[in-house]
Amino acid sequence: MTRVTIVDYGLANIRSVVNAFEYLGAEVTVAAEAAALGEAERIVLPGVGSFPAGMRGLRERGHEEVLRQLVLGEGCPYLGICLGMQFLFECSEEGDEPGLGWFSGSVLRFDDGVGQPKVPHIGWNDVRVLADSCLFAGIESAADFYFVHSYYVPLASEAGRATPGVCHYGVDFAAACERGNIFACQFHPEKSQLAGMKLLQNFLAIEPERA
Amino acid sequence: MIKHRLIATLLVCNGNVVQTRKFKRTNMVGSAFTAVDFFNGWTVDEIVVLEISDDLTYLEKFVSIVEELSRRCFVPLSVGGKVRDLTLVHRYTRAGADKVVVNSGAVARPGLIREIAAYYGSQCVVVSIDAIADTEMPSGYRVATDNARAAQNLDAIAWAKQAAAEGAGELLVNAVAHDGDKRGYDLALLRQITASVTVPVIAMGGVGKWEHLVEGVREGGADAVAAGNIFHYTEHSTKKAKEFMLQAGLPVRPTTFYKLNTPRRVRYAPW
Repeated sequence: MTRVTIVDYGLANIRSVVNAFEYLGAEVTVAAEAAALGEAERIVLPGVGSFPAGMRGLRERGHEEVLRQLVLGEGCPYLGICLGMQFLFECSEEGDEPGLGWFSGSVLRFDDGVGQPKVPHIGWNDVRVLADSCLFAGIESAADFYFVHSYYVPLASEAGRATPGVCHYGVDFAAACERGNIFACQFHPEKSQLAGMKLLQNFLAIEPERA
Repeated sequence: MIKHRLIATLLVCNGNVVQTRKFKRTNMVGSAFTAVDFFNGWTVDEIVVLEISDDLTYLEKFVSIVEELSRRCFVPLSVGGKVRDLTLVHRYTRAGADKVVVNSGAVARPGLIREIAAYYGSQCVVVSIDAIADTEMPSGYRVATDNARAAQNLDAIAWAKQAAAEGAGELLVNAVAHDGDKRGYDLALLRQITASVTVPVIAMGGVGKWEHLVEGVREGGADAVAAGNIFHYTEHSTKKAKEFMLQAGLPVRPTTFYKLNTPRRVRYAPW
């Protein structure tokens, strides 16, 4: 049975992510403490809430060090969802707390000035699939996914230039990231019905190198 | 491009899904789980579940229904009914609600909207407004609460503006007289509200044919359109509604089927 470990850092409502993976037949473990992360085969970091509070939660629970070792050191497949994608970067305009810094660059706030769409960006929006991608395998380009966020990863960043999927909301931004064993999406696949479930299934199909 | 959403509404009374007409319960529809399974398969964009019993007797059962629904609902789930303070908001969100719907509780104490928004963010608060046509009010519409039994001395448009200012993420607008009577949304009411606020407005109440959904967006200015009764007895109902909206030229999320390898029986770990 495919195993997946979901990182709980005290803020996010992780229930819907657990539900989605259980629905896909995965064996789900919730890691509220770093000790519970050690045996992970695949890691999912969901996220709703604020960047600084979330990063502090990860640090206080000791997740940061274990994540670094598992994901960067041992090649454990990682999926960051929403805030879990933004954490990958060095910093965010949302606050001073630094991110994980696995990817260079910073996360920006949508400009909600005159003539710009409303912030936050909430709702179903289409993602143009640009490159060969593990996450989007078998998903048609311009499929709609469910977004809820006020901050975004710019295309100009290192990860943005290599993004497999682009979404437009006032500005083009990275809807997803892929580099080696690190995957992330800005939208909520667990709330994006069949297309989202297909993407989660694609993540489950990625074989961990360790084990 | 952001899509117009098609929302299915489930009304739960005494633990059963029911239909209503002018806010009076008419008949039981059956299992909420079966309904949500079908809506999921038929490409609805969001599900709203409201508890409309007369008292709190069935609240525990309702919360357990929400928990079960969230296990098979892979679109945003909004839950409402009986919310007077943060206690029930916490319970609904823990049970799996992505958004919480408030109505009478917010009219009685508008600060409730701000409290929820401060804790969970504005995107989590949907303020539901039940309006009755009344020429004595400046806008021609009066707010009603308590399942439309209590007429308030409150103008519907003024309340919509106030709710948005308090931090509502969205407004769910229902015209009491149109509820369940299949004549379409109250477009005059919708037009006034959508012209008065910048938050997204969900039209609800009165859909009798798919054209009404298109009218809600085109003529009423709604961002999202909701319906309840019409979805229950039509095969592939939400899919047909979506296709109708697409053909009318509205930007909606199309129906694309992806095959999933799901187990025959899902095994859930205890929560």
